[in-house]
Amino acid sequence: MKLTPARICQLIFLALFLILFVQTEYRGRDEINAAVNAFFRVDPLVLFSYLLAAKSWSWLLLPAVLMVVATLLLGRFFCGWICPLGTILDLLTARIRKTAPIRALKGNTKYWLLLPLLSASLFNLNLSGLLDPIAILLRGLTFLLYPLLGLAAREGWVSLYHTIGERRDALAPAYNLIRDNLLPFRDTIYPLAFLSAAILLGIIALERFETRNWCRNLCPLGTLLGWLARFSIFSRVPATLCGDCGQCRELCPTGFDRDVLLKEECILCMECRQGCPHGRISFRPSAGLKGVGPLLPERRILLGGLAGGLLLAVPARFRNPEKESRLLRPPGVRSEDEFLKRCVRCGECMKVCLKSALYPASYQAGLEGIYTPLVIPRLGYCEYNCTLCGQVCPTGAIPALPVEAKRREVIGKAVFDKNHCLPFARKIDCIVCEEHCPIPEKAIRSREVTVMGLDGLSKVVKEPYLVEEICNGCGICENVCPLETKAGIEVFAVKNRTPIPPQSAGQEEKPFSAYP
Amino acid sequence: MDRRTFIKTSGTAALLAPTLIMEALAAREQSLVAVAEGNDHAAITRKAINAVGGMKRFVKPGDVVVVKPNMGWDRSSELAANTNPLVVRAVVEECLAAGAKKVKVFDYTCNDARRCYVNSGIEGALKGMKNVECKQIEPERFRKISLNGQFLKEWELYDEALSANVYINLPIAKHHGLSKLTLGLKNVMGIMGGNRGYIHRNLDVALADVNAHVKKHLTIIDATRILTAHGPQGGNIADVKVLNKVIASTDTVAADAYATTLFGLKPSDIAVTVTAYKRGQGEMNLDKIKVVRV
Repeated sequence: MKLTPARICQLIFLALFLILFVQTEYRGRDEINAAVNAFFRVDPLVLFSYLLAAKSWSWLLLPAVLMVVATLLLGRFFCGWICPLGTILDLLTARIRKTAPIRALKGNTKYWLLLPLLSASLFNLNLSGLLDPIAILLRGLTFLLYPLLGLAAREGWVSLYHTIGERRDALAPAYNLIRDNLLPFRDTIYPLAFLSAAILLGIIALERFETRNWCRNLCPLGTLLGWLARFSIFSRVPATLCGDCGQCRELCPTGFDRDVLLKEECILCMECRQGCPHGRISFRPSAGLKGVGPLLPERRILLGGLAGGLLLAVPARFRNPEKESRLLRPPGVRSEDEFLKRCVRCGECMKVCLKSALYPASYQAGLEGIYTPLVIPRLGYCEYNCTLCGQVCPTGAIPALPVEAKRREVIGKAVFDKNHCLPFARKIDCIVCEEHCPIPEKAIRSREVTVMGLDGLSKVVKEPYLVEEICNGCGICENVCPLETKAGIEVFAVKNRTPIPPQSAGQEEKPFSAYP
Repeated sequence: MDRRTFIKTSGTAALLAPTLIMEALAAREQSLVAVAEGNDHAAITRKAINAVGGMKRFVKPGDVVVVKPNMGWDRSSELAANTNPLVVRAVVEECLAAGAKKVKVFDYTCNDARRCYVNSGIEGALKGMKNVECKQIEPERFRKISLNGQFLKEWELYDEALSANVYINLPIAKHHGLSKLTLGLKNVMGIMGGNRGYIHRNLDVALADVNAHVKKHLTIIDATRILTAHGPQGGNIADVKVLNKVIASTDTVAADAYATTLFGLKPSDIAVTVTAYKRGQGEMNLDKIKVVRV
């Protein structure tokens, strides 16, 4: 592989993506300044689907607007210079032997993906994240590959202890360095791990048929950028294959399988310019929409796309009410509908979650909610003083809140199950939930009551009760409940998520300063 | 008794005698509780340690020492949910000055371990100190220990705490929803693995079972600030009372008994203390405890 400027740029952005990915994790500081969400903030597909669905503006989207402007001026350079998934395909494709392109994917397939997605957004269902290339890459990494790396490293480290015991301490500094800077802090196994990785691997497998198969035939972000690129003032000269050579057909990774180079498919990788034996090719500003074909896809595709979105948006709405009772969203999400309009399902909140409380919904939130984050308190709880999920959310679907505000946000409300909870069911003391409740005034309290024990004798037991007004639903009670499998206290979703009153969320805590 | 038996018996007796006599002496020795008071928390920590014989009495050169503070909660130091970092540092310094080869400081936290270590201020207070290790719990180091207690037959305990030459118990005095107070005897939960919530159903007996197994060479109770309500994690500065006191004793039960009085309670109010006392783990009657104020 030759190191052309585009290649170098691609590798830099891939490295940046991976560094930011690893940085999207609690590394000992309450703030994450740079996270992989930066890639979504410049993503025009996220921009358009957000605007269509939420029908409102957020300043978080400004970089994506700049990307739109840049694409209008220069063309579809994102795909050839920046997109980390595209880079991975470029790095792998040389090793994959090609058969013939799949005919079925040619033509308007890409519009049949993009248009229903955008149209569904218009009908309040934002699914763009499901097919966004960056989201696909991130989910594959977050849900399968990164946990696998962490698990392998940790298991290795533990088995080293079982083999050589205390002598392992000699290697501890090296391991700690890797653990603190590279590994995920704890091993979390995610649902949908295999699906996420399978989609990613499927896209790589498509390279078997032609180079950048996903990019040119399917990717909705690429399609959108390509459509914007039609207006670009920057184009390749000559626009067609030269009669005497035709070398470009071999060199071009995307659009030159016809006689004319379509602007919407040129990713400006400059391979043709580098490789032209005659030095004829240049990229320069040139006016007009010469030779780009019709501005919009055919009417039946437009209408079909619109109808497809509607069909997608309405039946996908079905939700099982029983599942919905446990549909707990990250802190700060007050309205399910508003959340679904903004969430890009990138998985960053689930990666960053300190206590492994967040998991991708597989069936719990219906078809429309697949991959959206859910709090599963029995597996992890929302740490009282942590605000990371809001910080890394690229679209503000989970709002970035100061810690004082976040503590008051209601995820749900805890409810005792007296058939399981020990003081009620077995008449014995427990109240581990009260002990762990982080609300300074305690949303879980207990009172001493005289009851008849199971042996028939009268005894005094501490019975817990909930002060619902100040419960924020963090789920630590359910998480630490010492009963096996099912907890004696559970957090249920509530419609009214008005924050709990400020006096219950604790006084301003000053950081300890005796040691600078 | 034939000659062989006589030799066997007298031999065994001769071997065991010093230990037995020491045990008998120790039992008769009055429990001593040192209480130091002052605004300089590091200085009063040293005073309290010196009043019970100085760290050299416990730590011999080359020893590996475990200092087990309470840093179980993601709360800043002034909220009195975790041991005061100044007190922890002073204890660690004393250990090093006495010749400790290594001092290990850890706790099995309730909230996220990283946040607790950072926000308790303890990790920061120990940063850069030579031969001091403040690392998070590594689950593989828990070992199933046969306790043969009244409630717990066996439990997972932290290997590093058991294998150390000296174990210094360094809790903060605070309120607790179930046991009323959490002091030296309850601090042992920080070296327990497994489903710790399980022991709440018989807390005082379970703690006595574990404490019987874990030798605490010295118990130092941080009462520079105490948490008077909404324990064990608090969160409201209004629940914190500043006392500027540090208590030290080789008898954990006696230290706990004295600390109880700081909350206006009697040792007999605390089931954990009473059970440990009844099991012979220490003295809880205040009139039998010698309190030295420094």
